[in-house]
Amino acid sequence: MPASRASPSILQAERVSVRFGGLRAVDDVSFRLECGKILGLIGPNGAGKTTLFNALTGYVPLSSGRVTYLGSDVSRSPPFERTRKGMGRTFQIERPFEGLTVLENVLIPAFLRFPGRGDAEAWAGECLERVGLADRRKQLSSELNLARRRRLELAKALAVKPRVLFLDEIMAGLNPPALTEMIEFVLSLTLDGTAILMVEHIMQAVVELSDHIIVLAFGKKIAEGTPEVVTSSPLVIEAYLGGVDDA
Amino acid sequence: MKRFSGSLAQLALFIAVGLALPLLPGTNFSLLITLLLFIGLATSWDILGGWTGQTSLGHAAFVGIGAYALALGTNRLGLDAISAVQLGVGVAVLFALLWGSLTFGLRGSYFTLSTIAIAEILRLAAINEAWFTGGSAGLFISSLPEPFGLDLFERRVEYYLALVYAASVLACVMWFASGRFGYEMRAVREDEAAAQASGINPTRIKLRAFALSGALTALGGGVYGAYLSFLDPHNLFFLPLSVQIALTAIIGGRGTVWGPALGATLLILPAELFRSVFAEANLLIYGLLILIVTLFVPRGLIGELERYLLRRRYAREQG
Repeated sequence: MPASRASPSILQAERVSVRFGGLRAVDDVSFRLECGKILGLIGPNGAGKTTLFNALTGYVPLSSGRVTYLGSDVSRSPPFERTRKGMGRTFQIERPFEGLTVLENVLIPAFLRFPGRGDAEAWAGECLERVGLADRRKQLSSELNLARRRRLELAKALAVKPRVLFLDEIMAGLNPPALTEMIEFVLSLTLDGTAILMVEHIMQAVVELSDHIIVLAFGKKIAEGTPEVVTSSPLVIEAYLGGVDDA
Repeated sequence: MKRFSGSLAQLALFIAVGLALPLLPGTNFSLLITLLLFIGLATSWDILGGWTGQTSLGHAAFVGIGAYALALGTNRLGLDAISAVQLGVGVAVLFALLWGSLTFGLRGSYFTLSTIAIAEILRLAAINEAWFTGGSAGLFISSLPEPFGLDLFERRVEYYLALVYAASVLACVMWFASGRFGYEMRAVREDEAAAQASGINPTRIKLRAFALSGALTALGGGVYGAYLSFLDPHNLFFLPLSVQIALTAIIGGRGTVWGPALGATLLILPAELFRSVFAEANLLIYGLLILIVTLFVPRGLIGELERYLLRRRYAREQG
């Protein structure tokens, strides 16, 4: 792997492939993610971004290849084990625990790090504070609007104290002010060394946030590099950015 | 914890009413025993069916295990009553773990169908292994040991046993409701994928809930066995009993502390009162309640009430 060994890699994918019958949804993808860095995963619809994302987090089994987290092979670990080890995730379609309040929603992942109710509640409250939902704690989660449901997803992911955070299209559908806010917020998450892997369609967010971008098309990695390199690559422009006006 | 002391007050009230009722003249012990037993059984069912969201229509199997363990343990194995009930609870736990590990791969209605099948297997075994169980003719409990000098055939004793049973099950549910296990169960019920993202192993939580639910149901089965004193596999292991337990909890409000108890009160009291006057009233009341609940209060009575209170409290704090 050509990547530098200077800073410790927290997550490593080696020749990861996912096949559904004859379809190669993810084909031989490798990358490294380092502490405090943000990796953007982009590509046209159906490129295999979400499948790769789910393979890394354990929701889709690998057909071949290896995922290493903090030096240990997690390729066969079920999702809950990866969560316990410190791999947090959000869901593209928000999945609040519908019948429960906002606070209770965050309480559930908080119990993972704080078995007692009092401590768990305090930590859940802190997480809600961070995403700006503290005043909604007693509201039923099913009654939140889209932007708040998104932030609830984030609070739940943060509550497991992740060292690597997988964000699945958390910018989608946000209005411009909310988008700017979210970009700043995601950036602030890396300050303590948390690494982030994000699947994102909103180019503004990807370009502003990512240290490194991987471009997928038809399951294959067709380009990677810094945002500047990737966005100026003719191959990428043809496969993905062609005709897209990125305001 | 404030939340918990509130529940304790409710439980204390429940026990106080339970202790006061026999002091009234002309107490119908049979009716009250049945009521308390179904409060306990439905609340036990709800640990798996409501809190964890795995609808079982096979819980009669655990009632049967508890009742038969009492009868066979005392009369065939020479155990004292308490050991026999413990045996029943132990068997129920093992049975639930085995049953769960076979069927928790199934989702939703497929899991429910499998529970009917497994309970049915047990019923057929109870009928066919007549040398041990008495077969389809049933099993008459002619004598029971007297733990602490208590005559288990006396209605008053059975009443207090049923009260202790119902109160214990309710206390158990209250205890976990606001703690980690309660929330883990609810997370599994709401969304298994999201539960995994919270570090929860859904299979493990479901197995734990099933074992607890089965154990408490078998405990109730033991008291039920003493109360019936004639064990009939066509009743104790059979689907209608499973359905009755499940519906009781669903109508009252699954996944709530008091829902199953309210459901039992609504179903048992009228059914027993009308039985002598109008035997089919039983089925009529069931039918009507099921219709009303599924149409207008899909979360069950207590479930909708809790939701309403939550909404109102939030609206008030905002306003």
